[in-house]
Amino acid sequence: MLQVRDGAGETLGVLFDRYQTPLFNFYSKLTGDRTLSEDLVQEVFLRILKYRQSYRPGTPFRAWVYQIARNARIDHFRKFPRQTALEPEMLPPVLPTDSAQEQQEVELLQRALQQLPEEKREILLLCRFQELKYEEIAALLGCELNTVRTRIHRALQDLRKAFHQLARGTMLKKAEAAAAENVPRGGRHEV
Amino acid sequence: MKCEHIAEFLPDYLQGRLSAEQHHDVEAHLEQCADCSEEVVIWKKLSLLPVEQPDPASRARFEAMLQAYQAGRSSQPEGGTEWRKRASTWNWNVFHWLRSPLGAMAWSAALLALGVFAGLRLAGPKPPSLDLAAMQSELASMKQLVVLSMLQQQSASARLEGVTWSTRDQQLDPQVLSALLHTLRYDASVDVRLAALDALSRHGRQPQVHKGILDSLQQQSPLVQLALIDLLLEWRDRDATHRLQELEQTPNLNPTVRERVEWAKSKLN
Repeated sequence: MLQVRDGAGETLGVLFDRYQTPLFNFYSKLTGDRTLSEDLVQEVFLRILKYRQSYRPGTPFRAWVYQIARNARIDHFRKFPRQTALEPEMLPPVLPTDSAQEQQEVELLQRALQQLPEEKREILLLCRFQELKYEEIAALLGCELNTVRTRIHRALQDLRKAFHQLARGTMLKKAEAAAAENVPRGGRHEV
Repeated sequence: MKCEHIAEFLPDYLQGRLSAEQHHDVEAHLEQCADCSEEVVIWKKLSLLPVEQPDPASRARFEAMLQAYQAGRSSQPEGGTEWRKRASTWNWNVFHWLRSPLGAMAWSAALLALGVFAGLRLAGPKPPSLDLAAMQSELASMKQLVVLSMLQQQSASARLEGVTWSTRDQQLDPQVLSALLHTLRYDASVDVRLAALDALSRHGRQPQVHKGILDSLQQQSPLVQLALIDLLLEWRDRDATHRLQELEQTPNLNPTVRERVEWAKSKLN
């Protein structure tokens, strides 16, 4: 980063390769919109170029990048307010995994995550997927370290509740479908 | 340890940052408390979520952005950070001096001298073609800058004007194309979106535009969706069939759009 800061734009390519996928996943899991996520990643790198002088050597680069990433998203939604809530159809496709149960769990988890309020989803993404330290998250969100801990705990509590609610719903649907399948079959047998 | 206390320790437990004693206390609580232990399970399950890969074209877009940025910078005066630092400290004093009567006179004299010099140069026998080319390229980049800044305006009519400006150039910078695609997808005004689509339709051969237009099918405005479908039909775009099928599966799709999708699919096949 120091080379980028001192004007070597070519080295930004190395940073792009390193941060493109994590940033893209941060945005796509937060907004559920792939195209927008790609646009925002480009915006982040444009801002890194523009504001590279504001990076202070010795401070964590990752936290600086996520500060830019958060601001880019906030600015985007200020200019273009969101028109709809996230549709479950916009979720990424679940790759086939070893077991059907695991696949179903991933689907439910994705939907549960999307049901959380954005700030809760964001804090979970920052600590679980972007691997930021709690101190870095506190600096990013402008709050105390203990507040970060409490928010993470509350977000996890909500995620657990949403996950179980969805899991129960799915089980009920399956049971209803099985019952509906049995009734006509029984009817046919009688005829 | 009770559930109220766990809020303080659980996040650090999840990241393995507790002392041995605290770790042991949390584990003892987790054995007794189903809710808290489920939170730990959910935390672990989060690792199952797939890592999505961005579009491979993103790298090319980044390179284009980098080149455009560096080209823009190289046309600025050389001298780097040292020059800029010194300039920023002097700026204030120079500005004050220029506002004083003496400064104003010097300023006027300098402008006059510049005018005379420019007049002599322009009236010279051979205008250097290199300078002219540089001026033309600068003018082109100025136009693009104007478009970019107009597309960011609050007022819809200013944005509409920005879109109209972009149609004056045959060749558009990737950054302008990307701003137009952004407008097409997210602009609050449907009129601006439609105008952006009209402007973009001239650049359909560029992969960036082609992909962006296909991506924009998923959007809120049925009017824009209809216009997009018509454009894809006009291009006889066979890649579009798959995307139209995806659009058709969208729940709550406007019935007119659904009809047009079916019609377009039959025409394309």
